[in-house]
Amino acid sequence: MQEVLSQALIAVTYYGLLGWLRYRRYRVPGLSRLRAEFEALDRDRRGPLLVCANHVTLVDSLIIQWALSPGWRLLVRPRWFIWNLADRHNISATWFLRTIGYLGKCVPVLRKGPPEEARRTLDKVAFLLGRGQSMLVFPEGGRSRIGRVDPDRIMYGVGRMLQQAPGARVLCVYARGVGQREYGDYPRPGETFFVRFSAFAPATTHQGLRADRDLAMQIVGRLIEMEQEYFAHANLDR
Amino acid sequence: MDNAAAFEKVVGIIKPFVKNQDAFAKPSEGTRIIEDLGVNSARLVDIILAFEDEFGIEVDDESADKVRTLGDAVQMIQRKTAPAH
Repeated sequence: MQEVLSQALIAVTYYGLLGWLRYRRYRVPGLSRLRAEFEALDRDRRGPLLVCANHVTLVDSLIIQWALSPGWRLLVRPRWFIWNLADRHNISATWFLRTIGYLGKCVPVLRKGPPEEARRTLDKVAFLLGRGQSMLVFPEGGRSRIGRVDPDRIMYGVGRMLQQAPGARVLCVYARGVGQREYGDYPRPGETFFVRFSAFAPATTHQGLRADRDLAMQIVGRLIEMEQEYFAHANLDR
Repeated sequence: MDNAAAFEKVVGIIKPFVKNQDAFAKPSEGTRIIEDLGVNSARLVDIILAFEDEFGIEVDDESADKVRTLGDAVQMIQRKTAPAH
């Protein structure tokens, strides 16, 4: 039901949120190049896609969706409209946020909830990936409190998702506002965002919880590498 | 292995993950790992894997989910290390 409704109202949702991003004067330089990269990646793609990103602000998923595809392409390529795991508290505070979260294909997550709740969420993700959908997750489980990719916060659930969706491909995404020093709710108005993708194929010889951990650590390791590349060239990009 | 020895080993394994050192000063079987000791829930998997290594056991998801207190951990380990009849 959520998929049908969100697809039916995709133009309203996408361009409504894009309007807000523009109102905030946010910019993503090189959008055409990024979208071409993603399109090339999708040409070779069969099966589901797990997008794994760093997380420092509440708008990260919007920026990533914006960078991956223009709204009109989503009308013909629904799987480019990516599902994302979102903190239930953040998307349920008001009826407006609940509506946006629903139409924006958010799967609510109860952070620090009981294991049964986590399992239900993983089942939902497995179901969606099993249908060849795309899913955005933040392997740190929330916004990094240190403003950098924080290996101490890794949630191994991302590894479990991969195990439950054999054949899923991983796209690591590093995105941050160039003026973003620490984590926060919303980036400053007029912020310029650095966004980079990296197709990634983690593999493990372990099983069970060890495999979850191994896969998650590989993904976060790649995000850390991307972050190091960003900071090594940060002055060039600003 | 008796309960006291298992408890001591469990405490030793959990120690590096504890954030609330005050609560950890007097641990008991009823001490809750996440709520009382401030262990990050994401690190519970590391703790369970450390139990597997230390005690030579395998812990399935269902058993892992039931470990909420230090006592739960000890009981689970005792069950899994008990000789089969």
